Amino acid sequence: MTVNITMAVVLAGLYTVGFYLLMQRSLMRVILGIVILGHGANLFLQVAGGPPGEPVFAGSALIEAMVDPLPQALALTAIVITFALTTFLLALAYRSWALLGHDEVQDDVEDRRIREAERRREGMDESDEPDTEPAEAVAGFEAPEASEEVPR
Amino acid sequence: MSTEPDRELERVPWAEWDRPRDRWLMAEHNCNTWPRSLLLEVCARIVFPTVLMVSVYLLFAGHHDAGGGFSGGLVAGLAFVLRYVAGGSAELAATVRIRPPVVIGSGLSIAVLTALVPALVGQPVLSSAIWKLSLPVLGELKFTTNLFLDIGVYLLIVGVVIDLLRTVGAGTELGGPGLDDETLEREEVERT
Amino acid sequence: MLTAIAAHFVLAAFLPLIARRWGRAAFVVGALAPAATLVFALSRASGALAERHPVETFAWAPNIGLEFTTRFDELALLMIVLVSGIGALVLCYYACYAKPGDRAVSRDSSLLVLFAGSMLGLVLADDVISLYIFWELTTVCSFLLVGGEGLTRKLRKSATQALLVTSLGGLAMLLGLLLLATAAGTTRISEIIANPPGGGVVTAAVLLILLGAFTKSAQVPFHPWLPGAMVAPTPVSAYLHAAAMVKAGVYLVARFAPGFSDLPAWWLPIVVLGLWTMVLGGFRALRQHDLKTLLAYGTISQLGFLMVLVGAGTWIAALADVTLVLAHGLFKSALFLTVGIIDKRTGTRDIRELSGLGARWPALTVFATLAVLSMAGFPPLLGFVGKEAAIEGLLHGEPKDLLLLAGVVLGSVFTVAYSLRFLVGAFGARPTVAPTEAPPSGTVMTTIVGIPAVAGLVLAFVPGLVEPLLAGYADAYSANPPDYHLGLWHGFKLPLLLSIAIIIAGYLLHRTALAPRLAGWVPGPLHAQRGYQASVDGLVALAQSVTGRLQAGSLPIYLGVILVTMVAVPGAGLLSGIETPVDLRAWDSLLQVPLAALVLVAAGTVVLARRRLTAVLLTGVVGYGIGALFIVDGGADLALAQFLVESLTLVVFVFVIRRFPPRFVDGRPYFPRARWVKAGLAAVAGTFVAVLAVLFSGSRQGMPEASRFYAENAESATGATNVVNAIIVDFRAFDTIGEIAVLAIAATGAASLILARARQRPSGGYVPEDAGSERTEVKQ
Repeated sequence: MTVNITMAVVLAGLYTVGFYLLMQRSLMRVILGIVILGHGANLFLQVAGGPPGEPVFAGSALIEAMVDPLPQALALTAIVITFALTTFLLALAYRSWALLGHDEVQDDVEDRRIREAERRREGMDESDEPDTEPAEAVAGFEAPEASEEVPR
Repeated sequence: MSTEPDRELERVPWAEWDRPRDRWLMAEHNCNTWPRSLLLEVCARIVFPTVLMVSVYLLFAGHHDAGGGFSGGLVAGLAFVLRYVAGGSAELAATVRIRPPVVIGSGLSIAVLTALVPALVGQPVLSSAIWKLSLPVLGELKFTTNLFLDIGVYLLIVGVVIDLLRTVGAGTELGGPGLDDETLEREEVERT
Repeated sequence: MLTAIAAHFVLAAFLPLIARRWGRAAFVVGALAPAATLVFALSRASGALAERHPVETFAWAPNIGLEFTTRFDELALLMIVLVSGIGALVLCYYACYAKPGDRAVSRDSSLLVLFAGSMLGLVLADDVISLYIFWELTTVCSFLLVGGEGLTRKLRKSATQALLVTSLGGLAMLLGLLLLATAAGTTRISEIIANPPGGGVVTAAVLLILLGAFTKSAQVPFHPWLPGAMVAPTPVSAYLHAAAMVKAGVYLVARFAPGFSDLPAWWLPIVVLGLWTMVLGGFRALRQHDLKTLLAYGTISQLGFLMVLVGAGTWIAALADVTLVLAHGLFKSALFLTVGIIDKRTGTRDIRELSGLGARWPALTVFATLAVLSMAGFPPLLGFVGKEAAIEGLLHGEPKDLLLLAGVVLGSVFTVAYSLRFLVGAFGARPTVAPTEAPPSGTVMTTIVGIPAVAGLVLAFVPGLVEPLLAGYADAYSANPPDYHLGLWHGFKLPLLLSIAIIIAGYLLHRTALAPRLAGWVPGPLHAQRGYQASVDGLVALAQSVTGRLQAGSLPIYLGVILVTMVAVPGAGLLSGIETPVDLRAWDSLLQVPLAALVLVAAGTVVLARRRLTAVLLTGVVGYGIGALFIVDGGADLALAQFLVESLTLVVFVFVIRRFPPRFVDGRPYFPRARWVKAGLAAVAGTFVAVLAVLFSGSRQGMPEASRFYAENAESATGATNVVNAIIVDFRAFDTIGEIAVLAIAATGAASLILARARQRPSGGYVPEDAGSERTEVKQ
């Protein structure tokens, strides 16, 4: 028993669009990506429960003819949770816009600093390798410590 | 304050006691930031109780048919959304007098209490009991304790939606990028 | 015994309160715990010496078979005498040593008692897990005590080095202990030793355990942390870095030695590194001017000596070893405490500045001399008794033992020389230096120094007092022990002659002052401290380069890495594991096809949309399409919820985006072709998920048992004919409660995010190009 091709294509399409939007810089697109991924996941849960069948009302049909109720219950929970998550993300986006005036995902400043320190270090290593003291090599590591020693 | 309506009632002539004193639709100065649509406002007012009834039906029908606390709560929430979209935050405030977080909290409390009550009578947490009654005219009436859980879910969802209308809806009508508190306050003063 | 350990921890928790009220007296209160433990242990000594050792067990996680077992045997009793006895003395001493009103009192008293408790647990533990836990507790206590409040760079550096080196060893030891316990099939140490497992795994385990012991006991090449740790207050050094903690390594080796003494992987590293450490420590000690550092190098040397004796693995060597463990604990703590008095009263520990203290403080000088002579192995002191036994034990062993003997003799010569250097340096008169001005040494502190010093003298005359204890441990090495007894006089034999020769050679070495000139010379690559520094620097540089490469700071790149990993790792596993033929159908219901097309077209257009509203509405179309697909699938409840939620989501989206600019702001791309890379990556990942769905559902055979149970019992158990609803409100109601709690939290979070007012921003909403400067602005 497996997912049919149509559904597999829909899943592929939804996840592709979701992942692509997730990798965008606009926070609003990222949120849309999450919503679409949520749709994809719910559909995944549902179609993984087997091919279409009778709705699951006890006594209305043979159990063999019914669809699996468990993925449905899980998907129902997932739908509502996705909604909660979406509203929270929208609130975040609104807050980001209220504070910064835009909704673009910026590079992390701290990470960028580490990357630049690493580039500098590499450049230094190539230029004057023999004279580099070990302590200088970790300048980024030692610097905060040194500043700490300012008398209080 | 609580006695005031009574006193008012005494002063009002007997024949006029139920004459409407409030305007049915909001006055001009209360209106929201977007253009009003009379048709929408009137329709929303008319449809509102019906939609709430449908939501309660869904809540109780969930046991046997499509529906349940989630769907019922969402439908009720959509009724409030309709009122807000038609009339803005003032209309919403006129509709809901209770604070939305209280609704959320009571919904959650009902659900959790329903879960805990079986523990008091020695049953595992969250287990449920079923009672069946045979009434002469209505036929068989079935009642299960897990209905309370559904009611809790219903209340919570309604509360969440109204709260979202209050925050994401009404809360974002004001403010903007780079606005400090003073500007916001000025903006608010200008509006009222 | 479990109670004693717990009492330490409880008392340690209350000491800060006591210290706040009564100041330095907290140390004396703290000393009650080890003192009571000592009395208790001695009163139960018969149990430790008996054939069957008392065992106590406390199962703290019985479900996974974890328990804390104590076993009170000879070695444990010996270590308790050191740990609790010296501990009580040091705590009383610290009460006089600390300045009144010192802020460190509450911290140090609590930590010292905590340490005493951990050490007690360590020596009593009979299962490998608790052994490791207490081992690391002592490491952490040492770190906190050495670092103090970490006010200077030197303190922090020394404490960090002590922590890094010993916890590296601790982790290796944990691995070794676990391997050993797995190979032996039990976590009980006594059972592992009684039936030692064999094989390659055990060899690796033994080496890892030795790594832990070597780091803790400051053996070459891990020794530099010990002299560095001398920045700690002197009582702390006396306790942790002379008497107790550094002995933990020796203790560990001594604990496991009876089971593994024949394994070359066991004794070879021990004797080689032990000898090297003994000679090197003694050599380096000869050059030190700081009395405390001198003693630290002496400790390193002595620990090496102790290691060699355990590694020799004969009955007499083991007897000598435990004798020397006791002797070393006594004399080294006395000497450290002496240095503490000198430091406190004169304000210096430099032997170039001290002069004439011997005449000023006669009592302290006598005690210190007793301790120093015990260290150097002069008769009639316990150190001499131990060294006699050691020479005897190495003399009559295998040929390799003679090699060891030569090394031990060389190390002992250095020991004599640095002992004399200490004594003369601390108390001798120096013609070129004016006699040091100093107040009296203090009766209480001098008395405390005297107790272990005199104990070394008394025990040398009546070794019978402790011999049953020491011999009891040595019996583990040999079923029929040789007829050897500890004593001062064994007749004019080779050991005595060697002892005399060692003393004469040591004296000459001290007189000629030849060694100090040589002792500073160590070849660069062999410099252990430089090695430590290089490895730490290398680690930091590695961390920085890894972080610099992986943490690019850009969210799209992170997500890309995650997606690639997701496809590569499970994807490879999937491709290698495909076996079952997949039965593929084009569709199950014809209705699915137009709906699928609708969903796909809408989703594709979301990507291309330039206006926010368009994108949101198209997402809504996707959602409604999915709802329709649910109906086709027979999920009525699901479809209803999907439609309702989709409507609400749309409304909330519209509420928020009405405040945003109508079009997406597309900033300049960081990489020109990034869009295609992203699209390609997304397509690969999306296809992967679809393949996953096909393969996973391919292994499904009919309705699973849980679902069938729900469908069959919904009506009878919950009274609901709607099975999905029955699952939500009854069978899996706990999920539902969790879910509505999430809803409540999300709504509350959204409320606080939105209702919070924007703070004033200097740039009025303008986005600075350089985010770095913006960050500092916020901070200021």
